[in-house]
Amino acid sequence: MSGPKTNGAALADIEALIADFQASGMRELHVRAGDVEIYLSTDASAPGLGAQAVAVRVEPIVPASAAPTATPELAAVPTAAPCDLPDNAVIVRAPYLGTFYRAPKPGSPVYVDVGSVVTADTEMCLVEVMKLFTAVRAGLSGTVHAILATDGAMVEADQPLFAVIPG
Amino acid sequence: MAVNRLFIANRGEIALRIVRAAQGLNAETVVGISDADRGSAAAKLADRALVLGPGPAAKSYLDPRLVVHAAKAAGCDALHPGYGFLSERAILPRLCAEHGIAFVGPEPDMIDALGDKLQARAMAKAAGVPLVPGSEEIASAADARREADRIGYPVLLKASAGGGGRGMVIANNAEEVEAGFHKASAEALAAFNDGRLFMERFVPQARHVEVQLMGDGSGKVVHFGERDCSVQRRYQKLVEEAPCTAMPDRVRKQLHKAAVALASSVQYRNAGTAEFLYDVAREEVYFIEVNARIQVEHPVSEMITGFDLVQEQIRIAGGSPLSATQDKVRVTGHAIECRINAEDVGRGFIPVPGRITGWHVPQGDGIRLDSHMSEGAIIPPFYDSMIGKLIVHGSDRADAVAKLTDALDQFRVEGVPTTIGLHRAIVRHPDFIENRIHTRWLEQVLLADGAPQE
Repeated sequence: MSGPKTNGAALADIEALIADFQASGMRELHVRAGDVEIYLSTDASAPGLGAQAVAVRVEPIVPASAAPTATPELAAVPTAAPCDLPDNAVIVRAPYLGTFYRAPKPGSPVYVDVGSVVTADTEMCLVEVMKLFTAVRAGLSGTVHAILATDGAMVEADQPLFAVIPG
Repeated sequence: MAVNRLFIANRGEIALRIVRAAQGLNAETVVGISDADRGSAAAKLADRALVLGPGPAAKSYLDPRLVVHAAKAAGCDALHPGYGFLSERAILPRLCAEHGIAFVGPEPDMIDALGDKLQARAMAKAAGVPLVPGSEEIASAADARREADRIGYPVLLKASAGGGGRGMVIANNAEEVEAGFHKASAEALAAFNDGRLFMERFVPQARHVEVQLMGDGSGKVVHFGERDCSVQRRYQKLVEEAPCTAMPDRVRKQLHKAAVALASSVQYRNAGTAEFLYDVAREEVYFIEVNARIQVEHPVSEMITGFDLVQEQIRIAGGSPLSATQDKVRVTGHAIECRINAEDVGRGFIPVPGRITGWHVPQGDGIRLDSHMSEGAIIPPFYDSMIGKLIVHGSDRADAVAKLTDALDQFRVEGVPTTIGLHRAIVRHPDFIENRIHTRWLEQVLLADGAPQE
């Protein structure tokens, strides 16, 4: 068996496949041939092989990137686990179930970041459900201490979105 | 060449409606769905369902390349875009043409031209269609002030690329028009990446009327009467009816003539709707825009004429001539449609996704329900909140209102809040019964003191 040649041929096939994939405009491609399996995606954050497909459930809706309902705080940015929150932190919550957006549109700067100074009227994020976009306001003056949900992820009604230190 | 295998690039009730229409023409059906719609009624009824991508529409229903590749891979010879999603994006018919797939709709250049309101106005003007007294493109706040003085207050600033009420500002005087210019321009730029504005006279007591058109692409155009869609909230229609009984015959004839002249002058192909404002006080109609797709409210036109407009669309896409001449289209009786949305009326009409746990639908003579819902069905959080359209057909408007009132009383949905209760209040209101409504009636009268209690 001429291993190197076979590998070379396989490599050429894969290169051709990648070229076709790029030209096709497809977002994802999953191919299995014999014991070779390849997954191509234009999305750098795609789960890749071995990841569970994202199942869509309603009641409750918990995307793969978010935490179980019982402990929604765990959906937080890892550095901001609830136990790290100071006692005086005020939680800004989602008004209803929907998608959490930190910026007004893709590619725009985020509304607020950790360390941003906010007032009661400061818009902190958008929550969108079925084309209805609602700007969530801080409701108090203070400094953003932590961001507790993932941009673009589904959040539940009352799920914590931000921790704000009053002041 | 008749359509053999139709790809349905949509979801919800319209996907189901298109599957049924195609099956009635003995065409095979393939529906492109998102992962969230695997269990949908259209996916179950179609011969085949292909998963385009995950739930969020941007990664499934709104990706034209994905949609056309799926249609091609499934061996489809035609594609129906439904309404919303990609239905008025010229890239979809362009990609279809590249892949030899017939698009059930107008040519891409027509979609582009009609989608630009300034261009559409120019087309209408050239065809002799009456326009709302208004301006060409407005370049500056000073320009806006000059035009408003000429047209007369109040005026409405509108985005050329607009839709859904975004980039629209009403101005009552010179100060408001200058401030309004900056606001509307910024809104239009943010929403459509196109800040161009124009101005129209604002008609305070207007009705929204529209004409259902079907063209063969060579200049032959037939209309299926008009619809009155004046019950609106934030420019979204809630109730539609046909015909419009609030208009004298003289105006109705003028309306039909204008709509057909416009579509014929541009050799319009497939289904389209010419929308007009009806100024009740002046008894005048003014052109607004043409929607280059089948519309949500098409069933009321079907009920009064007996034509299946979606089947007609598919036949035209397959190269058939129009199935009727104008003298074969007869209007019988009156039809009214209520859009039933899964929304919490008491909480600012917030859409509520969830699961339908009880679905008790009205039945009877002259009642039609276009819906993809059933007991146990899921309303995913990614799309719109419409769960069905209740349509009734009566011998005249009073008979239709009576049937609709009964049908709404029978209609019970459990698991999510719906707008059925609001519709019950609408059809019982004296203004609706006596047909004294206008486009701001719902907000200014019925909802003025908050949401009606059931």
